[in-house]
Amino acid sequence: MDSRKKEGQMKTNDILEKKSTRRSFMKKLSIAAAAGSAGLVTGGCVGGSGSTEEMGLKWEEYFKKNYRMMTDKEKDETVARLEKLAKLQDDANIQMSNQEPREKVLFGYAFNISRCKGYMDCVEACVQENNLDRNSKTQYIRIFEMDSGQQDPTSGDGKYHHEVPVENKYYMGIQCFHCENAPCIKACPTKATWREPDGIVVVDYDWCIGCRYCMAACPFWGRRFNWGEPEVPKEELNPKQHYLGNRKRMKGVMEKCTFCVQRTRQGKLPACAEACPTGSRVFGNLLDPDSEIRYVLKHKKVFRFKEELGTDPKFWYFMD
Amino acid sequence: MKKIFLRSGLFCLCFVPGAVFLAGLPAMASGGGVMERIHHAEEPYDSMAIETAYQQPVKTVRAKESWQGGTFRVLTRKDSITRFRCSVCHTDKKVLVKDGALFTHDDIVMNHGKGENGLVCIQCHDEDNRDFLSDSSGKKIDFDHSYQLCGQCHFRQKRDWLGGAHGKRDAYWAGERVVRNCTSCHSPHSPAFKTKMPETYSLPLDQ
Repeated sequence: MDSRKKEGQMKTNDILEKKSTRRSFMKKLSIAAAAGSAGLVTGGCVGGSGSTEEMGLKWEEYFKKNYRMMTDKEKDETVARLEKLAKLQDDANIQMSNQEPREKVLFGYAFNISRCKGYMDCVEACVQENNLDRNSKTQYIRIFEMDSGQQDPTSGDGKYHHEVPVENKYYMGIQCFHCENAPCIKACPTKATWREPDGIVVVDYDWCIGCRYCMAACPFWGRRFNWGEPEVPKEELNPKQHYLGNRKRMKGVMEKCTFCVQRTRQGKLPACAEACPTGSRVFGNLLDPDSEIRYVLKHKKVFRFKEELGTDPKFWYFMD
Repeated sequence: MKKIFLRSGLFCLCFVPGAVFLAGLPAMASGGGVMERIHHAEEPYDSMAIETAYQQPVKTVRAKESWQGGTFRVLTRKDSITRFRCSVCHTDKKVLVKDGALFTHDDIVMNHGKGENGLVCIQCHDEDNRDFLSDSSGKKIDFDHSYQLCGQCHFRQKRDWLGGAHGKRDAYWAGERVVRNCTSCHSPHSPAFKTKMPETYSLPLDQ
């Protein structure tokens, strides 16, 4: 109980500690913006790029706060703006959620290395669900074919192109482990990434400056960078989105697995766990003693990858 | 002089682990650690509180086993058997030879159990009433509750399945627990998973 309270304090403290400097910075910024706004508006009208409504929305979007600093009203407003913008810019009908984390929920994941057969259905489902860039073939999940006895995925082969499973090999999946003590969060200079109370490590894409410090800090290769504008075919776009999840990313921002925040906060399984035909992926609430994930932790042989680093991942491997 | 060095050395030896310990404290206090939080969480979560997890997209039936002291549901089987009920064909009526191919399930390949231990139809299907399965003691078992039959040999898998380490939940982690039946994933006649080509490939870790 105590640790939870402390955590709550820490959550607000770490972002509020430089309140005065941020405020003065914003003040300066708004002055600069006011000076530049006249030029921008007239320039836009002459160029004829986009409607006035679209420009107004973009303008408001540009000056919104970090998601954690927003009030509930502001969150609703930005979500509404992004839905409208998607309609105006891409003619896409999306439903964006800003569903808050549920109380008494801490998400955890377990991966059965003796059941996974390397089919990679999970990888494909993840790409579809999270609107990942088809152009650069971005994937959150990696599956490696490993020699038995090996535990280091750097020794595994991800580009296997033959019928699976193969005898005397096993398959190991790597994705974001949503560490409780995540080094990526500490590395971020703009506080654009943080851990939500339900344990999901998320990114505010609008606050990411693309420095990739988090990518360098992550010992699990869990983060992906958008080197170009992400491309998703219109007919394959997943319209059910979350502000912190699978919404449209920009060029030059970081993204990562969010445990499918748009699904899991609605009680659904993540896309990878639902797609797995072998039942190797177990997902659930770590704080519920009756959950499947807790059964696995209690009754199976489990280990965490690179546990000795002290990042406290919420992702366990287990075997039968 | 030497003594001073020795003393300061000793002092350092005592001090360094202490400093490391102190430095470690804030890290531990701030997160609490996942394992610690898990150990302290004893109160069951009311997963029915998540109202969006109510709709079940599949046909289910209440299982005849208990899970964590409560009930759960399994996916039905009878709905996916194309020619159920079996007793429509399996009657005392004589069958013509020319209809044999249609009636003898020649599409089913048996590959359950190795070598001499390979199973035959009647070891799982009830001999007298084809609408049911039957276990080794002759007890009739409904097709929707085939886990009762499978579990008599595969008891380890059944134990894990009841707990949640084998098989999988359907669609939701919250709401009423709905898990796949044995036969939702395994063909009962040839239960091992087939080999197939992977859907895609993974890039090396440094890319």
